[in-house]
Amino acid sequence: MKFIKLAACITSASLLMACGGDDDNNSSVPAINMEKAQLVVNTNAAIAYAAYTDSVETAKALKAALATFKADPSTQNLTAAKTAWLVSREPYGQTEVYRFRNSPVDALDVEGDLNAWPLGEALIDYVNTGNDGDDFDNDQIGVTAHGFGDDITATIDVTNAEASNTIIGNTAIAIDDTLLAKGLAAEDEHDVISGYHAIEFLLWGQDLNTANQSTTDGTDRDEAVNATAAGGQRPVSDFVPGITADYDANELSHRRHKYLEVVVDKLIADLEAVQAEWATGDENNYRASFTTLTNEADAKTKLTEILNGMGTLSEGELAGERMQIAFASNSQEDEHSCFSDNTHRDIWLNAEGVSNSFFGDYAGYDSDLNGSDDVITNAVDGYGISDYLTEVGLTEVAAKTFAALAITKAGYAAIDTSARDGVPFDVLIQNPTENSSVAITIKALNQQSRLIQDAADQLGLGTVVESDASGCNTENPTSTEGC
Amino acid sequence: MKVVLLIASIIFLSACDQKNKYTVSYIERSAPKFIAAENNPGGQTTVANQTQPSFQLPAANLADELKPNFHAGKALANQPWVKAPTVTFARDGLGPVYNARTCLMCHIKGGKGFIPNNNETPVRGTLVRLSKVLEQQDLSVHSELIKQAGVIPHPMYGDQIQGQSVSLAHQLRHSQKPGTIKHDVPPEAYVHINWIEKTFTYPDQHQVSLRKPELDFKYLGYGPLGDDTQFSLRVAPTIHGMGLLGLIAEQDLIALADAKDKNNDGISGRVNQVWDVEKQATVVGRFGLKSNKPSLAMIVGGAFTNDVGITNSLAPKQPCTELQTACLKIPNGNDKQGVELPDNLLELVINFNRDLAPVQRRNSQDVSVLAGRELFYQVGCNQCHNPRFVTQKSDTAPHLSEQVIWPYSDLLLHDMGPELADGRPDYLATGSEWRTAPLWGIGLLHKVNGSKVFLHDGRARSIEEAILWHGGEANQAKAQFIQFEKLDRDDLINFVNSL
Repeated sequence: MKFIKLAACITSASLLMACGGDDDNNSSVPAINMEKAQLVVNTNAAIAYAAYTDSVETAKALKAALATFKADPSTQNLTAAKTAWLVSREPYGQTEVYRFRNSPVDALDVEGDLNAWPLGEALIDYVNTGNDGDDFDNDQIGVTAHGFGDDITATIDVTNAEASNTIIGNTAIAIDDTLLAKGLAAEDEHDVISGYHAIEFLLWGQDLNTANQSTTDGTDRDEAVNATAAGGQRPVSDFVPGITADYDANELSHRRHKYLEVVVDKLIADLEAVQAEWATGDENNYRASFTTLTNEADAKTKLTEILNGMGTLSEGELAGERMQIAFASNSQEDEHSCFSDNTHRDIWLNAEGVSNSFFGDYAGYDSDLNGSDDVITNAVDGYGISDYLTEVGLTEVAAKTFAALAITKAGYAAIDTSARDGVPFDVLIQNPTENSSVAITIKALNQQSRLIQDAADQLGLGTVVESDASGCNTENPTSTEGC
Repeated sequence: MKVVLLIASIIFLSACDQKNKYTVSYIERSAPKFIAAENNPGGQTTVANQTQPSFQLPAANLADELKPNFHAGKALANQPWVKAPTVTFARDGLGPVYNARTCLMCHIKGGKGFIPNNNETPVRGTLVRLSKVLEQQDLSVHSELIKQAGVIPHPMYGDQIQGQSVSLAHQLRHSQKPGTIKHDVPPEAYVHINWIEKTFTYPDQHQVSLRKPELDFKYLGYGPLGDDTQFSLRVAPTIHGMGLLGLIAEQDLIALADAKDKNNDGISGRVNQVWDVEKQATVVGRFGLKSNKPSLAMIVGGAFTNDVGITNSLAPKQPCTELQTACLKIPNGNDKQGVELPDNLLELVINFNRDLAPVQRRNSQDVSVLAGRELFYQVGCNQCHNPRFVTQKSDTAPHLSEQVIWPYSDLLLHDMGPELADGRPDYLATGSEWRTAPLWGIGLLHKVNGSKVFLHDGRARSIEEAILWHGGEANQAKAQFIQFEKLDRDDLINFVNSL
């Protein structure tokens, strides 16, 4: 059997060679196998529904944790809320492969509300500012002169919390759903004040740690603000009511809880809207039209959509915008989850989403944050792009993609391990060398996206990796000052 | 292919013969023979036309090793800047007052900006320049200011209205009742447009509706503007091909200039002389709607500070005037160079802009397009919309070096008559002079980003309307156009749309 497969492989390879010089000749492209294509789209839809369902469930769990924290604003409950946030990212990260393909998360125009950054944090709650109106000043945390390895105790100057020019600080501002809805739906782009990262900022605060930093004389904000320790340092007292045990509606601690409530409610509502489009049994929703293959051209369109999400997320979004920009410019703000230092998981989960689409599997999510999926209620074991490629004889590209995904996995697993060992992504990017696990992962993602394009070519589909998609040349991760 | 060409040229030649009787004060002119190079307006930099054409693609011949920097520059032109201070220190420093939070938010996909069709929404992707009316004594009292700024800025508002600010009251204006939040730094104004329509009738009775904008300031953050203020409304122009325009030799521009109209063709064409911060000298201007910027670096640096509020070494002062004290007190995003965008990143954006490619022409062999081409030269459009240049040799940008380019502009100032005048002089440019707009890519504007407005203030909704607004030095050419039969007018428009 192996020999026959290999022979088929050689034949198709030589066919491709023969037609190499003529772009218009598609005679080597096999016809779409409608039956198998149906299996691919069915599985792809099933995984989407499962991952969005888990996203909704974990967002609801986050809401519950925030309610508990409000009722009893203890350090323990703050930690529990943070944990619930981290868990909520586990399934959501795997859904991002459904972006860049006009599927519901983009079509409903909620992606920006869910996951946009950089956050307009200076509008939401107090941030560190110097006395003279300059945010680059030597009295800020992280900009204090210190020697290598000194850990300057992070004490945020709460006098800024009284400033009236933040949403939390200005008690005239009603914190409600209108605030979020109209802030974001305006005709021009506004500061991001909603979604996962708004909750992240409220729970963690700014990440301005100084531990293990190189020596600074306190005059270079770039070197001084590079954080290394685990996440931001918002004190629990920000959430504790003042004089009496009951909350005064105007009290800032109350306003923070209220803000968390409205943001998490919108988050759940947005996720549910996307989930509903992927649900079975509704003949008018997106899933119904996505899984109905009327003819070969239609099947090609649907397969192209799947590969588009995989290719664009691999090359442009993850390798380029999310990793290389941060890596090549050594810039903490460009990391995805900069307040919680959870970027290693974003990378893992995005890449895992691509792999899910390829293999047609979804293993559930990780609820105890130990790196392996344990909630498998909605797991899917189906028919993926890999199965299709293999069964229509495109074994070579299937095998090569399989191998490339494995290299990517080794790369993101190394980033993850490093973070768990106390060296998170924002520290890794401070040493942008070729041997860095970050560089290796970027290159692997680049290679994997090229194979995804190869697979699309061999299936007679169009461009699935936009040449314009990436801000970076991900073949050379250390090459540029910033992308 | 050759046969088709031959037939096409026979057809348009015979068509031309009939045209003579419709022209007024016809001066013998004819188009040069079409050459294939015209299909590639940017020479070897030209990118192929696509279903979704774009003006933000790199030059087709850009070396692979320069591509990462192109994309890096693009990211800086495209990613949103946020209010300082944030942990995101390389991306903060927006405003305090600004027009847009990224470059490409106005120059969408490198194409032209938008202007509202009605009075309901304030302008975005369009801005208002302003200055004080020059009095005789200003020339001596403010001679240094005029030398460097080209105008006397409005003492309170500066030389540009920034319609947005980082103020919470502005950011939340759609969800909060006015007055709920006090501005710490108000946006300068919410500018709306009233469109005044009028009808133009051709001799053949065909009618076209023309509209002219009238500024409507619905909100002024810093008090009244005063009577001695001059305004100029500008829609964000396209940004492709600018590196090539930058490499046109100064002497080529000067050679085309004819300030005193010595050749008596009714067309003068003047060179603007403007301030260059890098050179600390007055030099020839070639960029900007009044040729008031000498180089791409100056236009990018100036726009970063004035439009986005991201200061840089070429324009290091925050976009606040001395009188806007609250604006000056807002935290900035400066690094240790004392600016928000360091030189190495600024250079990336300048080079990104430099390397944006013109797009290949479409339908250049259509019979109608070829006939329109003949008319374009016949009526003398080419006298200002100069078709062809050869760029200078460049070692720093070899891909742009010695390219035969077809921008259809002489980059000179021309008097366009009272109807188009903004009445706001800028350096040597008078209130009725404008730089000839390059026409390359003009037929693609709508496909690039959906905007389809022409002329400096976006009043024209079609090529035809744009032609009909031409006045001053273009009067003679326009008069001939008006006398054409409808079919001939369409041919000319088809030609322009094919560029």
